[in-house]
Amino acid sequence: MTTLNQLTLKEAKEGLKSNKFSPTELTQSCLDRIKSLDKKLNSFVTVCEEDALKQAQSADIFLPLGGIPIAVKDNFLTKDIRTTASSRLLDNYIAQYDATTITKLKNAGAIIIGKTNLDAWAHGSSTETSDYGPTLNPWNPEHLPGGSSGGSAAAIAADETIISIGSETAGSIRQPASWCGVVGFKPTYGRVSRYGVIAMKSSTDSPGPICKTVDDAADVLEIMSGGDPYDATSINEAPWKKPEIRTNLNGLKIGLPLSYFPSQTQPEVKSSILSAVETLKKLGAQIIELPDVLDPKYSIAVYTILQRSEVSSNLARFDGIRYGHDRSFFGTEAKRRIMLGTYSLSAGYYNAYYLKAQKVRTLICQDFDKQFQKVDALIGPVSPTTALKLGATEGQSMFGEIQDMLVEPSSISGLPGISIPCGFDKVGLPIGLQIITPQKREDLVYQIAKLFEDNTEYHLQKPQL
Amino acid sequence: MTITPIIGLEVHVELKTKSKMFCGCDANHFHVEPNTHTCPVCLGLPGALPVPNKTACEWCVKLGLALGCSINEESFFERKNYFYPDLAKGYQITQLQKPFAVSGKLNIDGREIRINRAHMEEDTGKSVHVDSSTLLDFNRSGVPLVEIVSEPDLQSPEEAKKYLNKLQQIIRYIGVSDADIEKGSMRCEPTVNLKIDNFYTPLVEIKNVASLTGVMNAIQYEIDRQAKQFEIDHIEKNSTNKTTRGWDADKNQTFLQREKEGSADYRYFPEPDIPPITFTKEQVEEIKKTIPELPDQKIIKYKTLNLSDYDANLLADDSVFSSAFEKSLNNSTDPEFAKFIANLLNGPIRTNLNETQSEIDIEKINPSYFQELFSKKSELSSSAIKQIVVESYQTGIDPLEIAKTKNLFQVSDTGTLEEFAKQVIEANPKAVEDYRKNPLAIGFLVGQLMKISKGSANPQSGKEILEKLLTNGR
Repeated sequence: MTTLNQLTLKEAKEGLKSNKFSPTELTQSCLDRIKSLDKKLNSFVTVCEEDALKQAQSADIFLPLGGIPIAVKDNFLTKDIRTTASSRLLDNYIAQYDATTITKLKNAGAIIIGKTNLDAWAHGSSTETSDYGPTLNPWNPEHLPGGSSGGSAAAIAADETIISIGSETAGSIRQPASWCGVVGFKPTYGRVSRYGVIAMKSSTDSPGPICKTVDDAADVLEIMSGGDPYDATSINEAPWKKPEIRTNLNGLKIGLPLSYFPSQTQPEVKSSILSAVETLKKLGAQIIELPDVLDPKYSIAVYTILQRSEVSSNLARFDGIRYGHDRSFFGTEAKRRIMLGTYSLSAGYYNAYYLKAQKVRTLICQDFDKQFQKVDALIGPVSPTTALKLGATEGQSMFGEIQDMLVEPSSISGLPGISIPCGFDKVGLPIGLQIITPQKREDLVYQIAKLFEDNTEYHLQKPQL
Repeated sequence: MTITPIIGLEVHVELKTKSKMFCGCDANHFHVEPNTHTCPVCLGLPGALPVPNKTACEWCVKLGLALGCSINEESFFERKNYFYPDLAKGYQITQLQKPFAVSGKLNIDGREIRINRAHMEEDTGKSVHVDSSTLLDFNRSGVPLVEIVSEPDLQSPEEAKKYLNKLQQIIRYIGVSDADIEKGSMRCEPTVNLKIDNFYTPLVEIKNVASLTGVMNAIQYEIDRQAKQFEIDHIEKNSTNKTTRGWDADKNQTFLQREKEGSADYRYFPEPDIPPITFTKEQVEEIKKTIPELPDQKIIKYKTLNLSDYDANLLADDSVFSSAFEKSLNNSTDPEFAKFIANLLNGPIRTNLNETQSEIDIEKINPSYFQELFSKKSELSSSAIKQIVVESYQTGIDPLEIAKTKNLFQVSDTGTLEEFAKQVIEANPKAVEDYRKNPLAIGFLVGQLMKISKGSANPQSGKEILEKLLTNGR
């Protein structure tokens, strides 16, 4: 029997509008699911039961997200709700204001059901480095959900919420979506305001939705997007609008970068992507193998240097004077990043590290420009492997960077991309397909992803919990 | 042994924009209840982002242009990372590699002082030390600051003072700041060393100077101190021995604050939260148009009206005052009229403004009044004119009306004057005697005539009549 918490956004909206159930029932259903599951899964750092139910009572179901429960990654500031970035340093920090995205979602009627777990300060790709303990993968609790938006992806996979949002700096939406078998839509840098999202690497931080279907993600992105006078780096345009659905992919050239299958690629990942290629071909797309796409391994170094540099500056405000706790509450990973970033920005090293990395970043952007003269979009695996086991990050300070190597190039170039389910490995863990387009072409991302989803059934499978 | 002081000045000027540099908070922080003009951005709360104040950026460019700088077409902000309790974000947003304005100059008594740059940045909060604790006030956090860095071209405390005065004058002329050193809206950090014959003493940056006199005294103190020090240790300047010294105004001396300035590492990098800013040539031209005629140009102009150096400088000192002068002059090129106005504005009007502690109000200046007064000046005593001009300025009443009402017009009518003269001669036989012996003694009789006429007589006409009567009566 289907319970309300399992509904997609589209189904939930229809149900609410036709009075099949109330916002309170819908919210309660999600809360019940959280209660029964989350002690084990640990998707949430904070559950807002009382507030959520109160809001459900007065929800206006005619708003775009009226009465819809949403799970919010705990690095979005939510007024009067504890916001920790999964670091004990902010254990008792109550946000003083709403992030722009939160304001937009609230105005659209969404009900914040809780704040989801992440790698502390979003530093990681496992959610294992959270100071509040790891989130487990709903498909197999011995495995990691990916990260850093692991809590949001797991909450969606486990039907603890109807919709969720995360943020991606280099893979933090797409990689956990891939490992949890859900849809993660990372928009163009600047499409969604960063105001009120605890900064990690400011020059690539991109908030975006993690949902059960491509349509759901697109609907949430519509609400989140749009220029923001509070964010000078936001794209000064009206909110993004979902385009018409395509009936086929005729005339579309989709590139397959051969360099996106590094040696550590799991065989099932490769075969799933190749089978996705066949599906796309059947839908009319012309698939072009690209032998000369810059090896994504270069992005690891570029990303690592730029990110550490920005992190060292962004975390300086947590200086022990305010926010309740001193700097001893920074975990090992944060300390490591602060030190590395401080080093790479220091006099005498700046040119060799930061400046050189910026130059290589430009080359990576240029490489994408070059490829997009030949093709309309790129596809590939999101991650070389399916979800790794708990503990995989131990002693691996570069875990995230290596896991995210296939999403880093597009992230540091500010490109939009999506992760959609495209298969399972032999132990039943999900595999994600990523679709990347030039900047501001979310329309194309959506159209390809939507048509792929409509012609496959991977997204319909649910973990046994 | 020749000693030449080498002085450079770093001047911070707080712009008087309505809102702060990177948020919408009220930028006024003088005598404001602590932490009331704050928001997530200027408190540096997690997730908050800076959005540059367009007016502040334009004003920085305007100031740069007024200082003869060239404007970089593309500029960007950078983060200067350092820890300080009143620095909310742990970094200050400033400009290093690409400031808005570079390579300007300022003329001081015919000598050109080069200006390295005028860049845009934000002010920090304020630490207030109470007993053993420190309180933080973030009202000042994020207030727009322009930093103007001179090349080390100044050679004496007096020259530094002139440079600051001139800078202050220009800033006030273009109206971007009050540039008040005492209130802290203009702050100055001199860097001083000496050239002693062919040797250079180590650089010293002086901090905490809170007045113009303080700047001069601190520089003079350093000049003397460094000369003495060099005699003792003969240590020359190198790349690592720059020090920072604080100024103690009470003891009138500097004291060592920090050594090895070269080792401070602010880990500058481009501010990722703010895209680069472009000022096209057209935009720069538009901003240039908003710059009024500056004091140097005004002084030249006033001198072509035959005004003295003193008068020209005084009139040009303040933009409102010079506007008042020009409004009164009403495009006249008559040097006599110009001198007449200059005397009144620099004299009685200025005295009155000082007494009432007010600024000149340009609205109260009526050019036709000055013209009227000028045309009747032979019928009024100079003290009467002074009195009339002040009263007319205050009340807006026609000066000739005032003269009439107060009976200040001098009597030149021969009949009336003869009456007065006869009375004087009759009443002062002794003085008449004196005059006959010595014609210079006429002064006393003229004085008596003025007294009888209650000041209304024209002294020159009175004197002539007296002389005529006394000569005839012989």
